[in-house]
Amino acid sequence: MQPLANITPLKSLPRAGAIEVRSVGQVFKTSTQDVVALSDVSLEVKPGRFVVIVGPSGCGKSTLLMMMAGLRQQTSGTVTINGAPILKPDPDRVGVVFQEASLFPWLTAEENVEFPLALRGVAKSERRAKAQDALRLVGLDGFGKRHPHELSGGMKQRVSIARGLVQDPPVLLMDEPFAALDEQTRMTMGDELLRIWAATGKTVVFVTHSLTEAVYLADEVVVMSPRPGRIVDHLQVPLARPRTYEMLSGDAFGRLRDRIWRHIKKSA
Amino acid sequence: MALGIKLARAAIVVAIFALWEALSRSGIVNPRLLPAASDTLAMLGQLLQRASVRNDLAVTASEVLTAFALAVPFGALVGFLIAENRCFAEVVKPLLFFAFSIPKSIFLPMFILVFGVGFAQKVGFGFFSTIFIVIMSTTTAVEQVKVEYLTVARSYGATSAQTALRVYLPSMLPVLLEALRISMIFNLTGVILAEMYASRDGIGHQIASWGENFQMKQLLAGVVMIATIAIAFNEAVRWVETRCSHWRT
Repeated sequence: MQPLANITPLKSLPRAGAIEVRSVGQVFKTSTQDVVALSDVSLEVKPGRFVVIVGPSGCGKSTLLMMMAGLRQQTSGTVTINGAPILKPDPDRVGVVFQEASLFPWLTAEENVEFPLALRGVAKSERRAKAQDALRLVGLDGFGKRHPHELSGGMKQRVSIARGLVQDPPVLLMDEPFAALDEQTRMTMGDELLRIWAATGKTVVFVTHSLTEAVYLADEVVVMSPRPGRIVDHLQVPLARPRTYEMLSGDAFGRLRDRIWRHIKKSA
Repeated sequence: MALGIKLARAAIVVAIFALWEALSRSGIVNPRLLPAASDTLAMLGQLLQRASVRNDLAVTASEVLTAFALAVPFGALVGFLIAENRCFAEVVKPLLFFAFSIPKSIFLPMFILVFGVGFAQKVGFGFFSTIFIVIMSTTTAVEQVKVEYLTVARSYGATSAQTALRVYLPSMLPVLLEALRISMIFNLTGVILAEMYASRDGIGHQIASWGENFQMKQLLAGVVMIATIAIAFNEAVRWVETRCSHWRT
């Protein structure tokens, strides 16, 4: 028994992943025509970076994320994480946080967090200890026994994040995780996520259609446009960390958001 | 509040029996057609002492349970296979609705011709009465498993067996239990109907013959007996159901 294991954070040493997307294309064949969902997408994400992909509906941003997660196969090109291609889901390398309602309602919060470990046959006591750590990390200490329907929307997404982190993967992929939350909760969750990211040092790729959220969270913003889905801009966000609410009304913030908005307006 | 509701329910049941008693005792309804509730319940006690009646109950129970034990796994398997294959589901589902809409009782004479009068005829007809509702319920249960849940399982590397056991089963369980409960209603109806129509034993056969012989007390006692058994089973499954589906809001 190691009582310390229960109070230390997930991992003392940050372990981050490098993602490389090279000339990825995706074509959907329908009965009448071929739809190009992604066209020649290349992107490099350095270890420990917080990268946000933003773009209007149908630009293929979620598709790209699902390819990084190994949940979808591209028609052409390669996706590699830490040097090895992603051909199928690999929970050792990637944790995924989905949109709302991806928790299993029949399991408690801690059982949901334990789910990835249970699949690998990790012993019950170890599972419980790791889930406790992950729940503490996301600020849900003491809520482990609740079922999802007893948690607020923000708390549910915290559980999702804990589930994504419980195996300590170097990369965390997030598919519009806060889209269903109200504005205040969304802001709070953004700050929470940045705190968790700073504490764990993971590489995060975050998909959203909110420009403000994109600039507020990111080290780098990747802008995509639809028909066919492609990257039209890749900008650095030089704002200091930690990010504060006051930055939202600053000039630097406004200029970045305007630059993204112009791309999106052009493609609409 | 909860206690008040329970008391109100109990009061309604008591009132029905009281009304029944009063109608019969006062002669508003001819007591030969409607024996008093107290007499009927006394008769029920007597009937339960009789070896022949107990034997009839055992025969019916064995028929019902056999039909149920055959129809539920078989129907669940067929339902699962149908729902798993989207194309096949498209083709077959309307046909199942056709089959389901036909009153099963019109096939009863055929069951007698094929199986004769006996155990196989009751079990066969009970099975036939139950199978369609089991298939359709399972299909629905599979279809209401959210794609999101399956994607989550896949993203964490779940095998097919793990997905079946840890995602499909718990997600389907509340619907399956409900299906089980409703299937039993169909099953019981099927078996008892088969017994009433043509049989040498079984409680359904007894009820039919009490009716033909104008033994109203016995007939009503039989009705109360079957009703109690059916309600008890239904409530037992419902109890399990609420325990397993507390997470459904």
